[in-house]
Amino acid sequence: MFFHIVLERNMQLHPRHFGPHLRDKLVSKLIKDVEGTCSGRHGFVVAITGVEDIGKGLIREGTGYVTFPVKYQCVVFRPFKGEILEAVVTMVNKMGFFAEAGPVQIFVSNHLIPDDMEFQSGDVPNYTTSDGSVKIQKESEVRLKIIGTRVDATEIFCIGTIKDDFLGVISDPGAAV
Amino acid sequence: MASMEPFNRLVRLAARAFYDDISMKGDNQPKTSRGDNRGMAVVVLDALTRRQWVREEDLAKSLKLHSKQLRRILRFFEEEKLVTRDHRKESAKGAKVHNAAAAAASDGQPVTKEGEEKVKVHTHSYCCLDYAQICDIVRYRIHRMKKKLKDELDSRNTIQHYICPSCNKRYSAFDALQLVSYTDEYFHCETCNGELVAESDKLASEEMGDGDDNVRKRRREKLKDMQQRIEEQLKPLVAQLERVKNLPAPEFGSLQAWERANIGAFANGDPSAADSSRNSQGQYGTPMPYIGETKVEVDLLGDGVKEEGAESGKNGSELKVLPPWMIKDGMNLTKEQRGETSKASKLDEKSEAKDGKKQDSKDDQSIQEEYIKAYYEALRKKQEEEEEKRRMQQEGDTFVSDSQSERQVGKKYKREDEDEGIEWEEQQPTGNTTEMYKLADLNAEAQESGDDEDDLVWEEG
Ligand SMILES: [Zn+2]
Repeated sequence: MFFHIVLERNMQLHPRHFGPHLRDKLVSKLIKDVEGTCSGRHGFVVAITGVEDIGKGLIREGTGYVTFPVKYQCVVFRPFKGEILEAVVTMVNKMGFFAEAGPVQIFVSNHLIPDDMEFQSGDVPNYTTSDGSVKIQKESEVRLKIIGTRVDATEIFCIGTIKDDFLGVISDPGAAV
Repeated sequence: MASMEPFNRLVRLAARAFYDDISMKGDNQPKTSRGDNRGMAVVVLDALTRRQWVREEDLAKSLKLHSKQLRRILRFFEEEKLVTRDHRKESAKGAKVHNAAAAAASDGQPVTKEGEEKVKVHTHSYCCLDYAQICDIVRYRIHRMKKKLKDELDSRNTIQHYICPSCNKRYSAFDALQLVSYTDEYFHCETCNGELVAESDKLASEEMGDGDDNVRKRRREKLKDMQQRIEEQLKPLVAQLERVKNLPAPEFGSLQAWERANIGAFANGDPSAADSSRNSQGQYGTPMPYIGETKVEVDLLGDGVKEEGAESGKNGSELKVLPPWMIKDGMNLTKEQRGETSKASKLDEKSEAKDGKKQDSKDDQSIQEEYIKAYYEALRKKQEEEEEKRRMQQEGDTFVSDSQSERQVGKKYKREDEDEGIEWEEQQPTGNTTEMYKLADLNAEAQESGDDEDDLVWEEG
């Protein structure tokens, strides 16, 4: 799920940037530091949409660095248990398949794949129905449901299922071939 | 309205299936055996299948329940989406309107209770079953029950665990990324690089596992057993759902709409009464029970024509003819004639009716009551006479009575045209009633023409 929230961060700036473009420098550094990172609490920071407030800088003794408290608005992505996501399959093996929804990695184990789909090894390992009408392989797009998330300080990993109504392949790259 | 019985049966079955052992614990109830009111929920639902919109106080009284206790049960059913409730502030008169509607809905008898003026306003709660929603809710509930069991049996939504057969280290699916091997299709142990085995596979392969597996097996059996019992015990309910599926569910509408519809059988003036009660509900500061009540009685006194005039300000489109209960004791012909009368003379008399209405509202309460009494008296007499006439008519002299009454119709209409304003207003009850009775023995063709000149032409030709 996406959220638009306000976060706060203490930014350290090298003294060489002190000048008329201090603020710009601070913002560009913020974007570079924060976008694409993951916090266990808020999820992945997808984009910074604005800077709300930059507080008074505090000079650090000895180094000359200045610490600015910066309040910024950003879009974060945080997967939840029970959420339905669309994801791209990145790897298929006998134990299940891995998929990505943006920055989130999801593993769907084989017991959460419908029983009528069987693993086929080969150059392009895949899960296929007996009549061959549905196939899951690398690059397939699937709709899945999150049944568990593990949130670390820097990483979110999800377990998904496609064994439910309206879940499964939504576009099959193999079909075009 | 759609047939209620299949739906009522559904409610009764659902009540016994799901709410049999629901106990509503009161805060102030002593924790003795007397406090155990299991089964009360079923009783309440059963009672509601025999009613439509009902005031909760009245329901409590007839169930010999404390109103607080009943309210607790009803609130529960409201949350369960079985019951629709409505609350409104109303005076004693507003309550009367509801009584009238309820009586009309249940047995079609006119209610002629004369209430005393009370300006006290209380909040009253009403409730009724929401049949359409009950069907959906029951179906959904059964679906959820079955799905939950099936999911658990399939160990769906459970995180897979893996075990290393050589060093017995356990991993969960969350570790999958670290376990992936790029040399084959399996997960490999981080410490010994052994091929991991999914735990459920292990369960399947060696049935005689350790205690943990036994627990799981027993649980599985329990789930299966539960699944079977659900199928068995809900069979009648499911069958009833199936039966009801293609029937239109009974719909009472909102409390206001329902009262309007049912009180239509009680008096023409219902829309105005309902309106006024809604007003008093909407603007809590200024409840106007008196106005509401006056309107009801005025409408009783007059007939469709006057009603139309009085109403034109609010909802002029309301075009009610004779109340159904009148039709019942009267005749079909009477009703038709009445409808026609209002149509024929409405346009000319609308303005006069309005004037009359103004005067009328100034009239004394007692005078109005007098009128009502006189009106009913006359009506009853007429109906008796009418019966007699009809019998005579059947015996043979249709022709004579026909032409006679024809002329009388003409006379009547002329007289009405002459009597206008207040005169007309006061004459109305009696004049109207006699007219009705005389017209009653007309045959259908004669009635079709409201104008007496037309009548004559038709007669000649
Ligand atoms: Zn190992």
